[in-house]
Amino acid sequence: MAAKTRYLFGGGRLARVAPWLMLLPGLGFYFLIGVGPSLATFVYSFTDATGIRGLPISWVGFDNFDEFLFQGARSRDNLDALRRTLIFMVLVTTIQFSVGLLMAVLVNQKLRGRLVFRTLFFVPVILGVAVQGLMWKLFLRPGGGPMDSIFGWFGLESQFLNGENAFYWVIVVQIWANAGFTMIIFLAGMQTIPADLYEAAAVDGASGWQLFKNITWPQLTPAVNTNFLLNIVGSLQAWMLFLVLTGYKNGTQVLGYVVYAEAFGGTGSGSFRQGYAAAASIVLFVLVLILGMAANAFVGRRERKYMS
Amino acid sequence: MSVITEPVIDSVRNDDGGAKRRRILRKVGSYSILLLFAAFYVGPLLILIFASMKSLPEFFADPTGLPESFELANFGDAWELANFPGYLVNSLIYTTVGTTLFVIMSVFVAFPIARGYVKGAGALLTLYVVALFLPPALIPQFQLILNLGLFNTRQGYILLFLINPIGLIILVNYIKSIPVELDESAAIDGCGYIRFVWSILMPLIRPAIATVTVIHAIGIWNELILANVYLTNEDLYPITKGLIVFEGVYGSDWPKLAAAVLMLMFPMLVLFMFLQRYIISGLTSGAVKG
Repeated sequence: MAAKTRYLFGGGRLARVAPWLMLLPGLGFYFLIGVGPSLATFVYSFTDATGIRGLPISWVGFDNFDEFLFQGARSRDNLDALRRTLIFMVLVTTIQFSVGLLMAVLVNQKLRGRLVFRTLFFVPVILGVAVQGLMWKLFLRPGGGPMDSIFGWFGLESQFLNGENAFYWVIVVQIWANAGFTMIIFLAGMQTIPADLYEAAAVDGASGWQLFKNITWPQLTPAVNTNFLLNIVGSLQAWMLFLVLTGYKNGTQVLGYVVYAEAFGGTGSGSFRQGYAAAASIVLFVLVLILGMAANAFVGRRERKYMS
Repeated sequence: MSVITEPVIDSVRNDDGGAKRRRILRKVGSYSILLLFAAFYVGPLLILIFASMKSLPEFFADPTGLPESFELANFGDAWELANFPGYLVNSLIYTTVGTTLFVIMSVFVAFPIARGYVKGAGALLTLYVVALFLPPALIPQFQLILNLGLFNTRQGYILLFLINPIGLIILVNYIKSIPVELDESAAIDGCGYIRFVWSILMPLIRPAIATVTVIHAIGIWNELILANVYLTNEDLYPITKGLIVFEGVYGSDWPKLAAAVLMLMFPMLVLFMFLQRYIISGLTSGAVKG
């Protein structure tokens, strides 16, 4: 291990501290704007901090948590947002996982044009929420937009992002934007499966489904687990497409968006309730932690089952 | 797209008819599903491109079809109305300065950690991994930037992009694959620490540097939330924020908006074509290691 290595570069005393000196800027910034603020979120969640410079900050104990979860109409909205976050997670995880897997299986075959398909499915991942969001916002304009006229061909009607199903349209866009990423991780896993496993099974006359069930799926365990965890954690924390697609309105907001809107005046009230928002982000953090750990335990069981 | 529509019949082998029919069936099935997915991906993009070449009345009359003529006026209009040149310069500044500083500093963090040249190297690495699971730093970060007087400044905005735990982990892992004998012989030849890292190590770990550079730069280029939070002066907006502002003002002029979205998308597509390998390896190794 690295710990056994001796420092090799000689020179005077100054030269000997060179590794530390050169490491400090990077590490310093990491503490200053990364880990430090991350941990300080816990502290802020017990205060009444605002976004105004110079205003005194005082300790309020668990008031923020109490207000967020149990007080008045707002807390009911918050609990709705929490429920919606869970629905978002379940739908995005299951659909994105399945679609990504199906895509990977299909483009992993020896088919003409498979690289074109791969690239096509992956490209949205690198576009960022502004482009992803606006592209779909334009596509989904109600009252004469492209999707509206396509719906018209089939006699369907929808208000899309303005209607009551807005939440589900955001889920569609979320999956569109990220399924390629899930696909790429599955593909990377599939490429490590030895080809002779398939050849041996094919000689025995195994069907495509049998090959998948008995070779691909068990051999793919690490990629399956990675995608499962990433999809759960990622979808619990995702909210930015809501910002671009729907804005902050009741009936669509998820927890991550509540945190942002409360902290930076996005709720329409114009106030920056950062202590309160910090408490909300701790609630989200605990949710991610619990579900992440549960998923991790589940995944560990699978790994022991398939990899032993 | 002509690659896809070529005949799918496989005439290489000539075994029994049943197996052959099954193979053909599977191919037809595969292509059907792939084309269905592809429509979902190409469709919105094609319609966006078509829309960007239409006039507003033409778009209303036919929102999905081909434009009557290949008119590029919307691009010119959007370019000027959206103040694209100004935002583009801002985005370029943030991306190049943020990425350069981050990568150089990170190599000097990653090297001694990978080699154990500083005390507590293992603990430091753990710290970078654990941080991926901590709550978001957003709120205390804001308080910090505010109190440092860096709110609404370029320096403050760039400061936020000087960290990226995944990038650092990629560098550490790559450096571990460089034999330590190299350090030894360089040291014996009297090469100093800084010169070694700068002129011997850096060229050797170029693939990892390229990967980290590309994923970090994409992250800065695409950033919208931090720009929303920290920049209120329009002169400092990056292009993502500029696009959202443009949508707020000209959102009802759909063809111009389509042109603006395409202009923001275009550099990323070009970058992807050339750097696909680094982008994919960077994003997936981050995911797997994280």
